[in-house]
Amino acid sequence: MKKTAIHQTKRRDDPRWFNKWVQSPRWFLGFWIAVAVCLALYGLNAFFGRIHPGSAWGLGFGISAAVLFVAVFAYAVRRRTMRFRPGRTWYYLQVHVYGGTLFILLMFMHVGFKVPQGLLTWWLWALSLWVVGSGLLGIVLQKWIPTLLNSGLSIEVHYDRIPQLVEALKQRADTLVTSCDAPIQTFYRKHLALALARPEARLIYYVDITGGLHARTRQFDQLRALLPPPEQEKLGALQDMYRTKLEIDAHFTLQKALRWWLYLHVPVSILLIALLALHIFAVLYY
Amino acid sequence: MKTPDDNKKGFFSHLRLPVSENYVVPGARKAMFFAGGLGGIVILFVVTFNVALQRGTLISNGPLSSNHALFGEDCASCHTPFDDVADDKCAVCHEKYGDEVGIHTFASHYLYRSGDFTRVVPSPDEVSCATCHTEHIGRAAPIAEVADAQCLSCHGYESFNKRHPDFHFAVEDIVDPANLKFPHALHVREVKSYEELADIEQTCLYCHQPDPDGRNFQPLDFDRQCDACHLTVSTGTPWLPVSEGALTEVPAVLPLETIRAQQAPGTRWANYMNPNEFQYRGESVRKRPLYHEDPWILENLRRLRGVLYPTQGLADLLRASGDVDPEDARVLYEEAITTLRDYAEALRARPEREVQDELAAINRLLALVEERLRDPYSPLDETRFAIGAAELNPALPPEQVNAYRLFVDELTAPCQQCHLVENATLMRVQAEQEALARAEFNHGAHIIHRRCLQCHTAIPIQQLAATETAIDSTRDHAGIQNLPTVDVCQDCHDTGKASNTCITCHLFHPDKSQRSNLLLYLKEE
Repeated sequence: MKKTAIHQTKRRDDPRWFNKWVQSPRWFLGFWIAVAVCLALYGLNAFFGRIHPGSAWGLGFGISAAVLFVAVFAYAVRRRTMRFRPGRTWYYLQVHVYGGTLFILLMFMHVGFKVPQGLLTWWLWALSLWVVGSGLLGIVLQKWIPTLLNSGLSIEVHYDRIPQLVEALKQRADTLVTSCDAPIQTFYRKHLALALARPEARLIYYVDITGGLHARTRQFDQLRALLPPPEQEKLGALQDMYRTKLEIDAHFTLQKALRWWLYLHVPVSILLIALLALHIFAVLYY
Repeated sequence: MKTPDDNKKGFFSHLRLPVSENYVVPGARKAMFFAGGLGGIVILFVVTFNVALQRGTLISNGPLSSNHALFGEDCASCHTPFDDVADDKCAVCHEKYGDEVGIHTFASHYLYRSGDFTRVVPSPDEVSCATCHTEHIGRAAPIAEVADAQCLSCHGYESFNKRHPDFHFAVEDIVDPANLKFPHALHVREVKSYEELADIEQTCLYCHQPDPDGRNFQPLDFDRQCDACHLTVSTGTPWLPVSEGALTEVPAVLPLETIRAQQAPGTRWANYMNPNEFQYRGESVRKRPLYHEDPWILENLRRLRGVLYPTQGLADLLRASGDVDPEDARVLYEEAITTLRDYAEALRARPEREVQDELAAINRLLALVEERLRDPYSPLDETRFAIGAAELNPALPPEQVNAYRLFVDELTAPCQQCHLVENATLMRVQAEQEALARAEFNHGAHIIHRRCLQCHTAIPIQQLAATETAIDSTRDHAGIQNLPTVDVCQDCHDTGKASNTCITCHLFHPDKSQRSNLLLYLKEE
């Protein structure tokens, strides 16, 4: 069977949701085996030793978590290493996702599934949760938003081109309106000009990808009934522009989430690295 | 102005929106890395400042337990950079005047009240204090409560309910060291009748009187428990031959008058003893009534013992045999010092200056010995009191030895109703009733759940006391340790029932005697 560029085997037998959420069944299975092994080790620890970060077991879990965290961090380095490329980014991504999730499990095992009481250790614990939580949120967004964008929009636009396209649309609408009668001009000035002026992010797109298109274009229908046929054509063209603008807004809103979740994830990850380094130093020093 | 139609790259959507003329490069999002990097640098700076100037409290893994809280201001009081927490740091306070067998050492743990120094064999499994007593887990953390896993890392059984060895006395079938002739059932029967008690277990409490805290029982005491029935006014010695001088030829007793006249050390009692308690018939004497630890009997016994064992040394200062557990040797020293003080007291009435000077020197010496005795780390050698080790008088022919021994039995016949006499010495009674040497037991905590005879079943007291027949001495004698085996404890102490952790019953550091000896801490180095 032919493999794709990312070594992903095409899987027709698996359920659709599985195909959507799991890129590689092998990694997925490997992850759950690793989880089972970790939990078994924790069980052995509970049976044969004491649960404590400083015990041999606890230190083992902690060191494993730290090593895994470094491996997970390698993805960020790999993405920015354009000239020297050790391995495919896809593998780094799998390690990033599954390793990151396993990291939080090992971290919990390290602290015995308790909340640490020290200031530094509490922040390590909390930031680890935050980083892994925001990472998982990122995965959900990256799986869900493209599907959502695909589900009810007629165009696709690049996030960074949106201001330029909106500006182009606005110019076209302005040009068209100058040739229209007074009712359309008034309608445009009162109801559309502001909406077409700039990209607008609205939460409605998360629940309705059309952004309430029918309700918003109802005014066009009411006005159309009052206009002569040539003006109706111009109003139709204006309505098309408005609909396209709403779709661009949908892209703007949802793609923005794809861009901005990283702000939840990356800066805190860098802080976490600093804290982890401090924690390792403190453990070795004291 | 450029229109979409001028675009050479093409259009998309039915509105013919222009395709980008150039490759769209996403924004660098440097702010994201800048924020994270800046935050990281700030944290590193703050923590470095904290470590350098504020003793690193920020990087502590958690608050210290309440007892150690004040050390939190100075990490170095416990920690050594790039090393484990050394036991020496703990010993600064906990073994302030410790030695090789300090109370918190493994050596002390191996001994565990046994006094058996052959047990003190260092193990590779020994761990540091901090391994078991985990710190930095909260102000209220009970750091003395060590998990079973720590104990089981050395002790080879799974838990209290799985492969825990039975009690030492049960495994070894050790006889009760009470050194008394005591059938329980007979006494239960008598006490029940005498006190008109309905509940047989109330008779137990007639003799076994609880400590104020209810954990254990007070030492048995003749005056409290036995006096009502034993050594009544009619009890007396048999007629015994009297000797007026040395006892080396024929075994005999010294009459009261002779002892008074000799004014020997430790015989001041003779001045206060009633002569009417002695009846004379020819060359024989009988003393009636008798007292517990009757000084006339003990003095004569001591003299007879001196004939049989002339080299008994320090044991001569004891009132009973010196066979105590090694860890109780202090009792022997205290008893010997009391005797010496008594001897010294006899010199007080002597007017000679040189005698008084000697007396002052003796008192100073005794005070010094007592002080050393109070020091828990003074080495004690109880073997000096071993009477059995003393040699028989080689000058005595065997028939004379026998004669002396028979005479000792005759003299101590009233004592031997209850006591054992060996080597012309009354065997020391084990008055303390604590039997579990390596574990702690609280009777008060158990009596609510179980009655006395539900656990103490080795002697069938209830069954034997109910009959009117003679007591079966094979089933009821003082040597039987009427104590339960471990399976009786395991009935209730099990997972899901009463606590079954190691520290429920055991102490890792068994010697609690010096833990609150404040004088150790006030003493100058």
